[in-house]
Amino acid sequence: MQGNTIAVTGVGETAFLRKGEESVMHMMTRASLAAITDAGLKPTDIDGYVSNKYAGHPSEEVAYAIGAGERRFTAVADTAGGTATTGDALRLAQLAIEAGLARHVLVPYAIRSTKPGGVYGFHAREPQKAGLEMPVGFFGQPTYFATMANRYAHEFGMSEEELAAVAITYRAWAAITPHAQRREAMDLEGYRQSPMISTPLRVADCCLTTDAGCAYVVSSTEAARDLPHPVVAVQGVGIGYNNYPHGVLFSQKPSTFDYPGWESAAQAYAMAGVDPKDLDLAQVYDGFSISALVQTEMLGLCERGEGARFYAAGHAMPGGKMPINTSGGHMSGGYVPGINLLIEGVRQLRGQEGERQVPDARLCAVAGLGGNNHSTTILARI
Amino acid sequence: MGIPLYPVHLEDPLFQGFYDGLDAGELRITADAETGEWVWYPPEVVPGKPDAVLEWRTVSGEGKAYTYTTVVRSLLPGDHKAEVPYTVILFEPDDAPGVRVAGILVDDEGVEPACDMRLRFRPVDAGDHRIPGFAPVR
Repeated sequence: MQGNTIAVTGVGETAFLRKGEESVMHMMTRASLAAITDAGLKPTDIDGYVSNKYAGHPSEEVAYAIGAGERRFTAVADTAGGTATTGDALRLAQLAIEAGLARHVLVPYAIRSTKPGGVYGFHAREPQKAGLEMPVGFFGQPTYFATMANRYAHEFGMSEEELAAVAITYRAWAAITPHAQRREAMDLEGYRQSPMISTPLRVADCCLTTDAGCAYVVSSTEAARDLPHPVVAVQGVGIGYNNYPHGVLFSQKPSTFDYPGWESAAQAYAMAGVDPKDLDLAQVYDGFSISALVQTEMLGLCERGEGARFYAAGHAMPGGKMPINTSGGHMSGGYVPGINLLIEGVRQLRGQEGERQVPDARLCAVAGLGGNNHSTTILARI
Repeated sequence: MGIPLYPVHLEDPLFQGFYDGLDAGELRITADAETGEWVWYPPEVVPGKPDAVLEWRTVSGEGKAYTYTTVVRSLLPGDHKAEVPYTVILFEPDDAPGVRVAGILVDDEGVEPACDMRLRFRPVDAGDHRIPGFAPVR
């Protein structure tokens, strides 16, 4: 696939709420209409859709809800988390647009983290977890990622202060982001007051509980030139996969924190024809501090094993040499898996982020983790 | 330290042999009956071998911790506040390379959990069933 043939032409979201009242469908509809308006389009202009199997609503429901015209292309991202909503959706959109199957593709997503059964309910339905892990209390993402953090610290060294620097960095960005959920300042002492969940991960090391919807519109770069905003093109996309089902992923994978991000980053940089040193900023899928710092390494923003120390040195902070998660990420901004990070990348490249705007931002990496897959997207203002 | 109390549902016969082993004081792992290759966790379909038959084999119970975490807030469905803290271990048996068994750390007074710490299997009661426990080798 070639870079810079498609662009993200419209973005939109609903308010990020700790506990909202609206359904997933309602939030997706609002976010979709906001994105379509942002693109300078009408719902009847949308003719392609990339749905997400975790949202639970196929494209015909979205098309009906937004009052769209004829559907000419539909696909469902088969991955999870931040891969489905970013790299996977963008690849599918590019295939459709380049093949002439659609002109404007809508990618919507919404989440109700407060739904009955909780965010870990789908793991409880996996036979191997129910049979062999839940009876010993090994259950829930914070617990899985805590075991990764301890192994990472064993292999590379990581102090409490270094791990804390990830959460403190993202909170510093959230403090200057008007729509972020957690804007109060947090220093090391504040971090230490955050309740422990599973050692070494505290509440502050985990993504937020969010009820919200996000959406974006993908069009050809040629079409984007006639739309209202500066053109933010997709210059590179890479996706790495492994075949470990979620039932065994967190226990049996040889290195449990070795996500396929090395592969996705290599693909994305090759497609984009750029190197990590060319980036102006990055958005990194921060389900947890430990997974974010590992992906920071995988993007090539620091050396292997140096992720925590990279954050502790302040490099990702406002004013740092490589700003990361400039709207607070999932840990302080809001958690609509992957997609709100992509939207933040687009807006930074448009140059409209006010106090938190990264000066002269022209190239942004967006990393998305989906358990047994990982995507890297390179967005470029062209 | 506490012990997680979560019901074991053995409607899925895939795991019956594991709990039968715990009742007998043994740590049992599934292997391909023909080749002896470890296949863990027991899957619905053995990769690449839909006709393969799995059998339960007892391992020595000596091994080490791949990793660990001390659970302070249980995320199990239901109210489990009274059962924390406990330390989850991903145990690697010496005689089953590539296999990890989830269990809890037991008999650990005065010992800090650590990756690669030497451990010995010791099942523990958890309500109406047994779960894998692993004790530090001192």
